[in-house]
Amino acid sequence: MIKRVAVIVTLLLVAAIFSDLLLNYTEQPVLGRLGEYYAAKGPSELGAANLVTSVIVTYRGLDTLGEVTVLFISAAGVGLLLRRRRDEADSRETRPAASEIVQTAAQLLIPMVFLFGIYVFINGHLTPGGGFQGGAIIASGIMLLVLSQPLAALSHRVIGMTESLSGFTYVVVGVLGIVLAGGFLDNRIMALGRFGTLFSAGAIPIIYILIGLKVGAELGSVLDRFRSAAGGQSR
Amino acid sequence: MQQLIGSLIVLGGAVFLLSAGLGVLRMPDSYNRIQTGTKASTLGTILVLLGLAVLHPEWTWKLLILIFFVLLTNPVSSHALARATHAARTSEDELMVVDRLDESEPEPPSTEPR
Amino acid sequence: MTGIPISSYALATGLALILIGLWGMLTRKNIIRMIIGFALVDTGIHMVMVSIGYVTGGTAPIIDAAVPASEAVHRVVDPLPSALVLTAIVIGLGVTAVMLSFAVRIYRTRNSLSIDDCAESKW
Repeated sequence: MIKRVAVIVTLLLVAAIFSDLLLNYTEQPVLGRLGEYYAAKGPSELGAANLVTSVIVTYRGLDTLGEVTVLFISAAGVGLLLRRRRDEADSRETRPAASEIVQTAAQLLIPMVFLFGIYVFINGHLTPGGGFQGGAIIASGIMLLVLSQPLAALSHRVIGMTESLSGFTYVVVGVLGIVLAGGFLDNRIMALGRFGTLFSAGAIPIIYILIGLKVGAELGSVLDRFRSAAGGQSR
Repeated sequence: MQQLIGSLIVLGGAVFLLSAGLGVLRMPDSYNRIQTGTKASTLGTILVLLGLAVLHPEWTWKLLILIFFVLLTNPVSSHALARATHAARTSEDELMVVDRLDESEPEPPSTEPR
Repeated sequence: MTGIPISSYALATGLALILIGLWGMLTRKNIIRMIIGFALVDTGIHMVMVSIGYVTGGTAPIIDAAVPASEAVHRVVDPLPSALVLTAIVIGLGVTAVMLSFAVRIYRTRNSLSIDDCAESKW
């Protein structure tokens, strides 16, 4: 009884704060000073057509490095918590096969999903998208592969090596920014190229390709961990 | 006039999506929930995309490709969900009258508890 | 209805989602439902952040044939909240993955998903 009253009082107080926020909200008619700087100087300084990409990879590149680290730590945490016990190691042979409809549709869809994911993170500086979105699409392609072929073994060595090499190369590219250009993770270490083409914006496509591979491999391994955790459960 | 027709089609699609959500909420059995969720939401998505094609005719081909992909993937995923529900079988189903899957394919021995 | 700016609708939806998620986290006993409530709060916060960055009459912050580089300052919405929300979505994903693996471990040791059975540290 007292718990229910406490819940209702909490929600009412939070709703009061939110309604205050909502009623005093006015839309901004023009961009603020920081947004104006990003919109005015971004394309000419960095050569990227997508302003959000130029903010994420270069202007706030250190936050992106922190985000990649958080993702790595959470993937490691999931790997630690769902560690494979010794007696569950042979659970793979007892999984039932997927039905024919799922297998056929997966054969049609998996190449397209991977191609689309690679397209999204290679063109991160031109169209909406980028490394994280492309990595998530690739991870969903991996999950489709795992669902349609339950006996397929994901090579954890390949995934681990992809992930570690991508992360390491990302930091190396950042340090190259200190050596060859203005600062850490500066994208002017490579030529800025012609605006709006694929080979433009300096090192931004390289960074996004590395991030896309890393995120895809990480999320794919997390999904595989959950699958093995479920497979070990007896029903 | 074109705007009115397009907006009406989008509204119809939104009504179907709402009914899909209601169905998932109110149906008694998991098989019923899978059925209403998939059918109504697929139709709702298709209607919304068609209405958008009427509102912006220059996007028609892209929207038709999108509709093709939605039609390809939604039924497959609901089929996989239904098969997984049948294989899991946590409790005896009072609502199930006929089980053709059990009659045609004997239960594989891999789902026994180890 | 003519005077209400369009981003208020997105702001109101985001705030409503946060309230619904909070209610779900506080009143449910099943751990998976609490995790879903957390995901709702996360989504609501993202919507609030993105809707605050809206500029009246603005369009997406991408420079192509529709928005040339010279008029970008006048026609584009703020790219900074979108960039922050991208980071926030990824971090929400990581936190949800760790929460779900905790739920799996709790189920393995106690064979139940209700938090009433995890009352050992209550005083």
